[in-house]
Amino acid sequence: MTTPPFALELSGITKSFGAVRALDGARFVLRPGEIHALLGENGAGKSTLVAIAAGILRPDAGEIHRNEARVSYADPRAARRAGIALVPQHDLLVEAATVADNLALLDPFAPAIESRRARRERVVRLARASGLDLGSPEALVAVLPVGTRQRIGIAGALQTDPDVLILDEPTAVLSPDETAALFRALRRRTDAGRSVLLITHRLAEVFESADRLTLLSRGRTLLETPVATTTTGDVAALLLGGAEATSRPVALSPAVRREGALPALDLEGFAPTGSGAPAVSLSIAAGEALTLLAIDGNGADLLGAAIAGTRPADGLLRVAGRSVAPGSSLAFRAAGGAFIPADRRAEGLVAGLSLAENLFLRRPPGRLTIDRAALAAAATDRLRRFGVRASGPGARAGDLSGGNQQKLLLARELEPLPKLLVAIHPTRGLDIASSEDVRARLLDAARSGAGVLVVTADPEEAQELGAAVRVVYRGALSPPLPPSTSLAELGRFMAGLAA
Amino acid sequence: MKARTVLAVALGTVAAATLLVLLAGASPADALAALLRGAFGSKAAAGETAARSTGLVLTAVAAVVAFRAGVLNIGLEGQFLAGAAAAAAVGPLFPDLPFAARAAVILAAPLAGALQAAPAAWLAEKRRVPPVLSTILLNLVAAAGVTWLVRGPLRDPAGDYPQSRALSDAVLLAPLVPGARATAAVLAALVLAALAAFLLSRTPLGLALRAVGEAPRAARAAGLPDVRLRSGAFLASGALAGLGGGLEVLALTGRLYDPFTAGVGYSGIAAALLGGMTPLGGAASGVLFAALGAGSSALQRDAGVPSALASIVPALAVLGLLLAQGGRTAEGSR
Repeated sequence: MTTPPFALELSGITKSFGAVRALDGARFVLRPGEIHALLGENGAGKSTLVAIAAGILRPDAGEIHRNEARVSYADPRAARRAGIALVPQHDLLVEAATVADNLALLDPFAPAIESRRARRERVVRLARASGLDLGSPEALVAVLPVGTRQRIGIAGALQTDPDVLILDEPTAVLSPDETAALFRALRRRTDAGRSVLLITHRLAEVFESADRLTLLSRGRTLLETPVATTTTGDVAALLLGGAEATSRPVALSPAVRREGALPALDLEGFAPTGSGAPAVSLSIAAGEALTLLAIDGNGADLLGAAIAGTRPADGLLRVAGRSVAPGSSLAFRAAGGAFIPADRRAEGLVAGLSLAENLFLRRPPGRLTIDRAALAAAATDRLRRFGVRASGPGARAGDLSGGNQQKLLLARELEPLPKLLVAIHPTRGLDIASSEDVRARLLDAARSGAGVLVVTADPEEAQELGAAVRVVYRGALSPPLPPSTSLAELGRFMAGLAA
Repeated sequence: MKARTVLAVALGTVAAATLLVLLAGASPADALAALLRGAFGSKAAAGETAARSTGLVLTAVAAVVAFRAGVLNIGLEGQFLAGAAAAAAVGPLFPDLPFAARAAVILAAPLAGALQAAPAAWLAEKRRVPPVLSTILLNLVAAAGVTWLVRGPLRDPAGDYPQSRALSDAVLLAPLVPGARATAAVLAALVLAALAAFLLSRTPLGLALRAVGEAPRAARAAGLPDVRLRSGAFLASGALAGLGGGLEVLALTGRLYDPFTAGVGYSGIAAALLGGMTPLGGAASGVLFAALGAGSSALQRDAGVPSALASIVPALAVLGLLLAQGGRTAEGSR
C-alpha cells in the first residue's frame, strides 16, 4: 500500500462574508505524518480556511481533496466522521454541564447510557493520554478558567483519534509545561502517520515543533515551505509585510512616573468575591504601567475584571483618588476607568452594531439626537488613527477580524484618555504586528498620563511591555519584578516555585 | 432583512393562501376581492381596519421596544388588559367632564400597563426569573383579574351582563369621519410608532437600548446602566400595551367585559416579528393584520371562505419569515 501524498488538499478556495473577501483562491496542503503550521496576520483568513476544511463553512469556490478523493462536507459531523477534527479558538463547551459530561458529548462513540463513573474515568484516561490537566471531572465548565476549557476542547477532539487534527491557537492560554506536553502528544500522533494542522502566532513554537508551514496573507497563500529551509526572520518579515501598515508609535521606553497626581489605582484588601483568593493591596501611579503576569486560572483575569467592575468584589477600590463601589462598571467608568476585557466578543464589542456606534456607545455626538454626520466623521477619523481595517464606519463590528476588533476596542477605550486602563490579555490571538501595535498604544497611554494595568499570561509580553511585573500565583501577588527579569525566573514565579 | 427574503416569504404566503382558498372551494380572485372590500371597500370597512389597528400597532411597538432591549415581554396581553381595566375604572368617574375623563384614561392606562409589567421586571433583574415565564404567568393573573373586576368591583349595577359601567358617550372618542369606527386613537398609535422608531435609531438612549439588547455584558462593561435600561424598556413596553388597552375602551368598547381580548397582545408580538423588530415595520404589520381581520367577515360572507383564513395567513407569514431567518443564521455564522 502506498501512502497517499496528501492527507488534505484545499485548492482555489474563495469565501466572502458580505463585502469582505476572507479567502481569495487560497491553497493549502497537509501531508500525512506532519505537524503543519498555518500562519498569517489577523484577518488573513486562517480561521475561515480551517472552518472550511472542517465542514463548518462551505467555500464559495474551490475544491477539497482528502486522500486524493474530492470531498464536500455538509457539516462538521460529516467531516468528523471522515477523520477531521477541529478545536476552535473559542471553545464550544456546554457551560451548564460538567467536564465529564462535556467530554462524553464530544465522544461520538460514547454509549447512550453511561454511568457517572465511566464518564469520570474517561476524563482521567484522556488527561493521562494527552498530558493535559483537565481539572476535576465533576466541575461545572461555567466556573472553569479559559485555559482549562481549552484543554478540555483539545482532549475532546483527541479522543476520536482523528486522522487530521486542526488546532486553532491551542497554546495561547497554555502554560509552557502544558505547551511542551501538548507538542509531545502531537508528535506521537504524527509519528503514527496522522497529521496535525496548527494555527498559531508564536513563531518560536513553529520552528521548534512544526515540519512545514503555510503563510496566508489577505486570503491568499503567500508561502508554503518546510520549516527547515526557512528562518524565523524571513517568516516574520513576510508576516509583518503582509500586515497593514499602521501609524505605529515607536520608542518603547518605560513609562515615566508623574509627580503630584493622585494614584490612578489604589487597592486595599481587595479580592474578587467568592474566589478564595487572598486580599491584595497595590497602587499604580498616574502615568505608570504595571503588568500582572499569571498562568490562566491563577486569578489575574478575575482580579482585573473585578477592578473594572464586571465581577463582584470586596475591599477598597480607588480610581484616580475617587472611591469606587466594587462590582460596578458604572462607578468604575464614572471615576475615569477604561477596560479591555479578556473576551472581546462577549464583553467588549456589540457585534451587531456598527463600528461608529461601538466607538460612541455611551456618548454619541449630538445632544438630544445623534448627529449622524458628526458620528461618521469622528468614527472615520478614529478608525484611521487606530489603524482599524474596515470598509467604513458603518460596517458591523462582528464582521471584523480579531485584531481589528481589538484595535476598535482600543480606539474606544483610549479616547478620551482614561485615568486608568485595565487591559486583560490585550494581545491574545493577535498577530505579531497587531500585538506590537496594541502594546505600543498601551504604553503610549501611560506616557500620556494614564495608569495602565495589563494582565497577561505571556512572559515575553511582560518583558516587552517594559513595565514592572507582578506575578499572580493562586491569587497572591509577587513583589514587583523588573521587566528585565529572565524568562526562566518569571517562569519560576508563575509556577509558584519562587519564594 | 434582505429584500429577497421578504419577497420569498410574501410569495410563499400568497401561494399558501391561494391553496387554502382553493381547498375551501372558492375562487382566489373572488376571495381577494371580498377581503379587500371588507378591509378597505367602504368608509365603514376602512374605518373598521383603522379601528382594529390601534391595539395591534401599539402592542407591536411595545413588543419591539422590549425585544430590542433584550427583554422577551410576552406579557403584552396582560398589560393590555391592565390598561383596559384601568380605563374602565377611571373613565366613568367624570361623566360630565369629557376632557378630564379622557386625560384620566390616557394617564391611568399606561400606568396600569407598566405596573402589570413591573413584577416581571423586578423578578428578571433581582431574581433572574426569565421574563418569558413571568409575563406569561402574569397574563393569566391579568385575565383572572378582569374576570373578577367585571363581576365584582367594576360591575355595572344596571346591566344583566358581567361588564363594567360604560363610559358616557361624551367621553368616548368621536369617529374621525361620521359612519366609520376609526378615531384619533389610531393616529396616536401611529405617531407613537414613529416616535419609537426615531428614539431607537436616532437618539443616544435608543443606541444604548439596542446595545444592551444585543450584547448585555459588553454594554454593561462599557459602563451603560444595563439594569435601568432593560427595566425602563420593560416598563415602557408595558405602558404602550396598557395604552392600547385604554384606547380600546376609550375609542371602541366604552367598557370592560370578559373576555376582553382575543389575543391582541400575542398578535402584536407576531406583528413585531413580521415587521423585522422595527417600530415602523411592526406598525405596518399591525395594520396588515387589522385589515385581514376586518376583511375576514366579508371573506366568509361573500366568498364562502372560512374567516379563520385571516388568522392563518399572518401566522404563515411569520412562520415563513422565522424559517428564512433561522436558515440564514445557521448558514451565515462565522
